[in-house]
Amino acid sequence: MSSETKPEEKEEKVGVYICYCGGNISDHVDVEAVRDRVEKIPGVAVARTNMFMCSDPGQELIMEDLRDGIVDRVVVASCAPSLHEMTFRSAISRAGENPYIYEHANIREQVSWVHHGEQATDKATLLVSAATAKAVRLKPLEPIRVNAMSHATIIGGGIAGMRAAVDLADRGIEVALIEKSPFLGGQLALLDKLAPTREKASELVSHLASRVINHASIKVHSCTTVEHFEGYVGNFKVGIKKHPLESNAYKEKMKMLNPVHKSAEAFIPFAGVYSGPVPSAAEELVIDTGVIILATGIKSYTPYQGEYGYGEFPEVITLSDLIRNLAENNNGGSLLEINGRKIKSMAMIHCVGSRQIPGIHPEDASGHLNEYCSRTCCSALLNASNVIRETYPKTRVYEFYRDIRTYGRGQEELYEQASKNRVVFIRFESQEAPEVSKNGYSDEFPLLIKAKDILTFGEEVEVPVDLVVLATGVEPNEISKIVDMMKLPVGPDRFLLEVHPKLRPVELPVSGIFLAGTCQAPMDAGEACSGASGAAVKAAALLSRGYVELDPFVADVDIQKCNGTGACVEACLSDGALELVEMEIDGQKVQRAKVTPAFCLGCGACVAVCPENAIDVNGWTLKQYEAMVNAIVAE
Amino acid sequence: MTSMGISKGKILILATETCAYPGANSVGQAHSSYPTNTFILRVRAPVLFPEYFYLDCFKKGISGIIIMSCGEECPYEGAYHALAKRIDRVYKMMREKNLDIRRLRLTSICTVCNRAFLKEVNDMSVLIEEIGPPEVNAPTSG
Amino acid sequence: MESNPVLNVDALVVGGGIAGLQAAIDLADQNFKVAVVEKDASIGGKMIRLSKVFPTLDCSSCITTPKMAAAAHHENITILTYCNLNSLKRDGNHLMASIIQKPRYVDPEKCIGCRRCEYDCPVYVSDEEQGGFSARKAVYIPFSNAIPQIAIVDTEHCMLCGKCEKACPTSAIDYFQKPIYFTIKAKTAVLATGFELTTLEDKPQYGLGKIPNVIDALQMERLLAPHGPYNRVLRPLDGMEPDSVAYVQCAGSRDKSMGVSYCSRVCCMYAIKQAMLLSGSLPLADITIYYMDIRAFGKGYEQFYQNAKAMGIEFVKAKVAALDAGENGSVTVRYEAQDGVGVTMANHDLVVLSLGMIPGWNPKGVCPVSSASDKFIKTIQPKISPTLTDMDGVFTAGAAAGPKDIVDTITEAGAAAMEASKYLIELQKGHAA
Repeated sequence: MSSETKPEEKEEKVGVYICYCGGNISDHVDVEAVRDRVEKIPGVAVARTNMFMCSDPGQELIMEDLRDGIVDRVVVASCAPSLHEMTFRSAISRAGENPYIYEHANIREQVSWVHHGEQATDKATLLVSAATAKAVRLKPLEPIRVNAMSHATIIGGGIAGMRAAVDLADRGIEVALIEKSPFLGGQLALLDKLAPTREKASELVSHLASRVINHASIKVHSCTTVEHFEGYVGNFKVGIKKHPLESNAYKEKMKMLNPVHKSAEAFIPFAGVYSGPVPSAAEELVIDTGVIILATGIKSYTPYQGEYGYGEFPEVITLSDLIRNLAENNNGGSLLEINGRKIKSMAMIHCVGSRQIPGIHPEDASGHLNEYCSRTCCSALLNASNVIRETYPKTRVYEFYRDIRTYGRGQEELYEQASKNRVVFIRFESQEAPEVSKNGYSDEFPLLIKAKDILTFGEEVEVPVDLVVLATGVEPNEISKIVDMMKLPVGPDRFLLEVHPKLRPVELPVSGIFLAGTCQAPMDAGEACSGASGAAVKAAALLSRGYVELDPFVADVDIQKCNGTGACVEACLSDGALELVEMEIDGQKVQRAKVTPAFCLGCGACVAVCPENAIDVNGWTLKQYEAMVNAIVAE
Repeated sequence: MTSMGISKGKILILATETCAYPGANSVGQAHSSYPTNTFILRVRAPVLFPEYFYLDCFKKGISGIIIMSCGEECPYEGAYHALAKRIDRVYKMMREKNLDIRRLRLTSICTVCNRAFLKEVNDMSVLIEEIGPPEVNAPTSG
Repeated sequence: MESNPVLNVDALVVGGGIAGLQAAIDLADQNFKVAVVEKDASIGGKMIRLSKVFPTLDCSSCITTPKMAAAAHHENITILTYCNLNSLKRDGNHLMASIIQKPRYVDPEKCIGCRRCEYDCPVYVSDEEQGGFSARKAVYIPFSNAIPQIAIVDTEHCMLCGKCEKACPTSAIDYFQKPIYFTIKAKTAVLATGFELTTLEDKPQYGLGKIPNVIDALQMERLLAPHGPYNRVLRPLDGMEPDSVAYVQCAGSRDKSMGVSYCSRVCCMYAIKQAMLLSGSLPLADITIYYMDIRAFGKGYEQFYQNAKAMGIEFVKAKVAALDAGENGSVTVRYEAQDGVGVTMANHDLVVLSLGMIPGWNPKGVCPVSSASDKFIKTIQPKISPTLTDMDGVFTAGAAAGPKDIVDTITEAGAAAMEASKYLIELQKGHAA
């Protein structure tokens, strides 16, 4: 339990290692001066510098000093701890020492990048000195090992959720797949022929869905929502609720199921794969699970009333509408026919609900702008244009765009093909968007589009059309309930925010919760599957050992000091983390506080209220903070 | 150690690990300058600090303290509420000791709140330049 | 060949760039044994050579080095640098890879990376790791944060003066070192062979690399890097601080005349990133980006682009027709402005060519895996299993399977590791049955 030796009594030997960061730090902080000053601090055994402390030779410096017994506490002064705290802790482990004898001083993000001149060097010195003061008071800690269930819960039965489910199940992990509708396939099921290969979305969805439905290790919970969440990595509890059909919005689509063959695995166009019987009554269940993968996906942006004439003119439709029309009335002919109208001329408008710019585009009801690019619409639109030009050669197609973003493999070819197919491209600036109005000149074409075409030096063009198709972007699905329950970070774009886009792209700060697919950002099917498999591999690695190691930063009671007031128990914010237990001390039965580490959040709410200073958070003690403050005010 | 270049009153910033501390790093990534008399301590949750911690800091010569919490985004349910109540008590104690309560600020700073971060540190810096170092006479516990 | 030493592993990863390292780590974390084969003398690939990366502007080295170190120190990963893959073939349930480790002329067991050989070597050679802007020695450690930190002798330039041999405290220099032939026997493989920049040999209009002060984007990465050749941005010809810098987009992409009809996917973003970094280091310089379409499609990319516009970086919609040497070392850019008056000319102090990506490796003759018409490795189920190749048990990730940015590469590397681990589990089951 708590250390019997007071830190002051033993001579701690702190090694301080200061990084140049190849100029990132040393351009503004005199690293050698910092080294010279901190070397004189009592308790500092050695202070060294390196061009890249995080590099192999840099880490080797530290490990050598540890192995030689020169130091037994380590302070590294470098970039933000989020980048390299783990790097140095693991170097300490490799040197055979306890990784928690480590303290980090952030002298890049919080010094060299924001301060200049001598004061930067002075501040860096004080921060290193404060870190040293803490390091002296650090004690070795052991990670808390908890058993991890070989079970994953995946929320969302779209392409990403199904991909992750199959991956994990094939890997030998039990999976619960939760889907709010009666169908698997998500947004992909609402598409037809995919860009750029024209593969059928229905076939891809059916392929994965049949693997999901028939896999012995996957349990599909359709018509199900997540209602409750608790626990910690390896041992989560997810409360779910199954809804009977009466209470959900999928009745219409269910009617399309042949009542005779109302069986799983049937693909319903523009709905998905029916995954089995709909619950007849509401039912609540709790799933015990080791990890959670969020695959909650996206929805299509809905244009506001009057946006490019949407909701105002019946001839203005979205790309989703067009795709469905093309799929359902795929007869060919000289002219495309939509809603009974022969289309001689049509306009496609890009970036509707995407790449919105403050001051130019109006915010939505909740004050949001979709400033991001929706990534998939350019190719989807070009694909549709090509299909139309190739199937209905008399239908003229105009594309109004800002930038054509055919970035992926085979996509530039779509763009080239569209030019060959004599699709007419008109390029507009965001501040001079095309205007859709009623055509006052002739009855032949109901609508008129006016735009300034940059491709012809800003010439004003007017295009009379029968149909306007809006390439609507995507928005994340509404999952605020899950976000609140699991305390997930959301970016300014309203998509879920990963820990770091390159270091930990599919992870969330809550250990054991991962991201898959478009809940993170707009993606096409392949990218969503890539993200899903990427999340699955992290989950598999986490569960493959059968246990998880948790940070040891939990409350710790000094039984000698505790006199059982129970103030900490009252202040505790986590059910089950602290309780008063009866024990015998010096032959007397007394009440003392006891911590259950797996439930302790390590917030320290108990620390502030203890009248005896008998409880502290390991690795973040009050005494350490007081010592840091002393170092900062030291003259 | 010498007093060195940072002669102005020192500001202690208690920045939460999940919100304000990465927020301060985000200011760094944007290379936005702010006064050097600011010392950011990474905390899991500021609810850890008892009342006397703040008063002791002033006694030791810290001129201003900004608690940069997660506010509504707090990962520890109920911690912010407990913190706010505690800070009210600290204010009361500060008044009793004739300490300008503006020296202690409770704010919430998110991971990308660069402007809010800069405003808080600049405001506090201006304030303590104006009112000078704290004078704490009455002893405190702890 | 039968007598060659054999290394037995579960998975072989070809390529030690960020894709290969991530795939290796994700496999090793599941307790599979992995061998990473890298052709260069250090792992880290292209990413370790970059300055900062979009859209977070994190220092690239700071993100790559932890992954390099994590892979290098992983108990389940063996890293083999300076190795060529001679062949990769299936043999029943196994893949057999025949490998040649090229001689470094330095004994890797003895070298301690102290660089004394480097200090004493009298030969200066243009340093490709610094864009050719500064010099290295004929015996050298590839770059400061290279893994492993083992010196290598550049035999093309070495004069055999013997100074390094004398300087070496561990007698590691071995002028007679021979190539080592060995075999890796694996159950599955991930091809993460990355990319190279397009060459300008087919593009006389851009000067074939002969116009002074026309550099490529990777060279600019070095100029911008915190530990770059000059520690600041200077024009290579005369050391002048440029007042105007121009980027030529799609220089080597979306251009059939160069045989690269596809979009290279990263050039828009890296040009914008470099422009932003430049406006930090050269606050008074005018920066112009000549582009056809800005393809800022990834998470946070469009916002990054809009920020660059707001910072005053000029975006000119135009395809650059030709570059010529101008007066006083300047470069004349001839372009057809889409929103101007036809063919226009502009002078810039420094011009950066945003070169595209071509495959870093051609499997032909080495491995029976197919390439697609774009010459990158063909993937057979791009929509639902994007890392599958047409060779059973062989997967691919990153730029080997088409141009890709770092974010997409790292995610895809995880996906390839997932496929490979499923394949391994399936094999285990087969044996058990």
